[in-house]
Amino acid sequence: MKSKKNILYSQKIAPYVFVFPFVITVLLFWIFPIINGVLLSFQDVLKDEWVALDNYKRLLSDKIFLKAVYNSTKYMIGTLILLIPFPMFFASLLNSKLMKKPGLFKSIYFIPALTSVVVAGTIFRLMFGEMETSLANQVIGIFGFGPIKWLKKEWTGYFALLLIACWRWTGVNILYFLAGIQSISTDIYEASAIDGASKWQQFTKITFPLVKPTTVYVLTISIYAGLSMFTESYMLWKGNNSPQNIGLTIVGYLYRQGIERRAMGYACAVGLILLIIVMIVNLIQLKVTGTFDKEER
Amino acid sequence: MKGQKNKDRLATVMMLILFIILAILIIIPIYTIFLASFKPGGDLLQYGLNLKIDFSRMSFDNYVLLFAGKHEYWRWFFNSIILTVITVVLTLIISAFVGYGFAAYDFKGKNVLFIVVLIILSIPLEVVMLPLYKQMSTWKLMDSYVAVVLPFLAHASTIFFFRQYLLGLPKSLIEAGRIDGATEYGIFVRLIIPIMKPAFAAMAILNGMNAWNNYLWPLLVIRSSDKYTLTLGLNTLINPYGDNYSLLVVGSFFSIIPIFILFVCFQQYFIEGMTAGAVKE
Amino acid sequence: MKKKLLTALLCVAMAAFSLVGCGSDGGDDSSSGGSKGPGSAGTNSMEVEGDATEIQVWTFIELHQQFYTDMAEKWNEENPDKKVKLVLSNMSYDDMHNKLSLALESGEGAPDVVDIELGKFPAFMTGKIGLKDLTSAISPYKDKVIESRLSIYGKDGAYYGFPTHVGATVAFYNTEELEKADVDYTAIKTWDDFKEAGVKYNKATGKYFACVETTAQWMINLMLTQKGGDYLDESGNINITNDTMVEVLEYIKGLQDTGAFAPVPGGQPDNEEAYPSYNNGDYAVQIMPFWQTSRFTSYMTDLSGKVAIAPTPVWKEGDAIKSIGGGGTGTAVVESSENADLAAEVFAYIKLSEEANKEVWNVLGFDPVNTEVWTDKDLTENPDNQFVKFFNTKPFDTLLEIQDGIYALESLTSEKFPSINNEFCNVTLNNIFEEGMDVKEALQQSEDTLKNEFGE
Repeated sequence: MKSKKNILYSQKIAPYVFVFPFVITVLLFWIFPIINGVLLSFQDVLKDEWVALDNYKRLLSDKIFLKAVYNSTKYMIGTLILLIPFPMFFASLLNSKLMKKPGLFKSIYFIPALTSVVVAGTIFRLMFGEMETSLANQVIGIFGFGPIKWLKKEWTGYFALLLIACWRWTGVNILYFLAGIQSISTDIYEASAIDGASKWQQFTKITFPLVKPTTVYVLTISIYAGLSMFTESYMLWKGNNSPQNIGLTIVGYLYRQGIERRAMGYACAVGLILLIIVMIVNLIQLKVTGTFDKEER
Repeated sequence: MKGQKNKDRLATVMMLILFIILAILIIIPIYTIFLASFKPGGDLLQYGLNLKIDFSRMSFDNYVLLFAGKHEYWRWFFNSIILTVITVVLTLIISAFVGYGFAAYDFKGKNVLFIVVLIILSIPLEVVMLPLYKQMSTWKLMDSYVAVVLPFLAHASTIFFFRQYLLGLPKSLIEAGRIDGATEYGIFVRLIIPIMKPAFAAMAILNGMNAWNNYLWPLLVIRSSDKYTLTLGLNTLINPYGDNYSLLVVGSFFSIIPIFILFVCFQQYFIEGMTAGAVKE
Repeated sequence: MKKKLLTALLCVAMAAFSLVGCGSDGGDDSSSGGSKGPGSAGTNSMEVEGDATEIQVWTFIELHQQFYTDMAEKWNEENPDKKVKLVLSNMSYDDMHNKLSLALESGEGAPDVVDIELGKFPAFMTGKIGLKDLTSAISPYKDKVIESRLSIYGKDGAYYGFPTHVGATVAFYNTEELEKADVDYTAIKTWDDFKEAGVKYNKATGKYFACVETTAQWMINLMLTQKGGDYLDESGNINITNDTMVEVLEYIKGLQDTGAFAPVPGGQPDNEEAYPSYNNGDYAVQIMPFWQTSRFTSYMTDLSGKVAIAPTPVWKEGDAIKSIGGGGTGTAVVESSENADLAAEVFAYIKLSEEANKEVWNVLGFDPVNTEVWTDKDLTENPDNQFVKFFNTKPFDTLLEIQDGIYALESLTSEKFPSINNEFCNVTLNNIFEEGMDVKEALQQSEDTLKNEFGE
């Protein structure tokens, strides 16, 4: 009885019990599959053979894979440009005392995030239909342009993809930044106002630097989400195939090879390259934003 | 002073205009699908989605189909609700448990483990998707909800959030609990969980959204159509071999509603929780 | 206060939902769909009295469910000692094939019987074949069935799939539109006639005559086969830059340049975005496999009584190859299934018996593989038949006219074909007909891509 009581009260053991579920999850569902993935990437799974570096060699000369990497990177960069500065700016406006009914707008902006990608992708696919009567063509029709085959050309397709991303994530990112801004003490703003700082100066000199932790967080998850995007394109092009592979992403290619073509080994190599790309981009990002230096200190 | 007031009023009006335009842009897609839910499914293919209102072609037929037709929509709907509830409840409990461990204690290996949390936070699931799939298949977990939920219960970003939230917690609360003779776990259950409400609300919404909208992983591990979730089911309606668009449109519109209600209910806590758990240095 | 109440209500509702859900989750899966009518998405289960072996069937075309159920009922009547109960699941095209390949891979979760689309079939013929050899199940029907349709689902002399139809490529002419432009479709014999008629039609009406395919190769494969061309060389290596291929695609490019031919929305006639364009009369002609009949009656209903079926053009009058089989679904039996033998026997009956082939026409509107029924005028000219009513020519007259000239594209059965097909439908044809890239350049580019993939 006594010893049992001791265990429950032990402050030495408790932390390990608390983090245990995480440790076991990491081992079973991350480390183990990653090791497996590495092993599989050196195999031709269908033929059940070890092929050494063949899968990787093939990947480097695989134009479709390179196209997929290009597409994913392009998409990620687009989302970073559109989904960080604008939401940050909107959030600081919404936080302003002069703004009326910020709660209402916050709710409205959040609605798209609540729609599933399956639904969103379908809506946008039909809005960007090639017929004259689709919404996108009606809009450009107002400006005197003829109907466009939006989803058949690289840049118009890219535009549609980015639009889905902006539509779904602007509201969420606004909330992230709003949370970041609200945790900044109002005294700083008041002090700066007394010093005669303009609103714009307050934004660039106070808000921007002080929400940096939030920015880094949003940046990290945006890089993650941008590079691993799949469902948006899958729904927009009604499947994993798009004209000239303009909608093919790294994960789309992984899916095509691993699931559609049953080339499990090759697909695992694709997955590991994705892992490496994400890690490198994030390392650069953390270095540039200086987050590392702080961790070390 | 008066000039300042006028200036303020102007700023308010400008901001309102900006945000109203933004709101309209954001509502348009939802509005088009709402309109489309009254139009015959075939019109969608012929004309695409648009803002045209033509009462002669609009009817409640799709809603009749949704509520009285023969299809599995409601089964998918219930499946999604079950799965979302299970996922959210378990993820929150487990992640809070772990997050508390990180926030309240100092222990050997803590920093290393926390770096692991940060790393996992930034790795897309898709990287391990295929090996994980093989693993599920060897463990005979295929086609079960266990396979859908289990790998993500100790959810890195949720743990991270809870840890951030709890960092601001006064240690004296824990000490008081210890003095009262509570066990370490009793403290968590009786003292910590109650004060985490706003954080739970925020994470309930984010995790609920993810679970409700999850597509790729369930697509891989779920096989029988009677276990389909709403996203999987709706996707079967986008099918070159059937004319299912009527159900698709009305079903898509309807699928937004439950999660929206959830959001409206918890919205206030959500912002509060997000703010309190905001990323701090 | 109100909000709290709402929250509480919602929680209660959700809890209730999950209880209900859990309850039914533990129940018998097959019974859940039992009351539903056929044709709905998802799972349908047959109702059978007495002992019956349960057979799981996956389809990706809802119509097939009804057909299989009807035929299985006939089987049960004739074989009361070997009754079967079909449990049918319909899924979307991609999902079903992907799930099947995953299930065969992992050796778990596969159905007993599955419909596999022709284009996906070779993918299941690589490595260790997880499908049952159906040669002996087919043997009672073999001499009545068009051989080329069996061999497309075969490998090394064994057959792995029951064909559904011949899919003979024919031309569908919208006679109402053509009459407006004074174009007589019966006078169209060669592709040059076809082109000429198109130009005349376009001048008179300003509308498009036929589509240039960018997401399928129905017409391209026909033209190619008629010229004796293919995608692979004799030793099975990729060769899409061959002269015949270039000639065919340049000919089609020539059609497009006249302005009378253009890519239809969706890129090919059998596409949900394309149906409305034909239904409206924006495009007048479709060169499609015979099974397009069922798309007309389902999705292009305004054209009832306005469409004539005729043989497709050829390069030179008197050419031997008048048509090719296009598309198709091979019904396969999973090797590891406990009921594989029974399933093979039952599905041979369901798909190949004379009885079944009559139903293939009656219910599905396809050209049956068992050609004995082609000459059964009571069947093929039955005035109550929806397809006979729809078209203003006798559908089987055309089929009988071209019967001896129905060939197949050789490489269709190659393991490489799915990848080639994918490249053509996404990249090559798009480059040529949407981006205006030079034919040779586009083909060369795709050949390089494919060579990399095949490691040639």
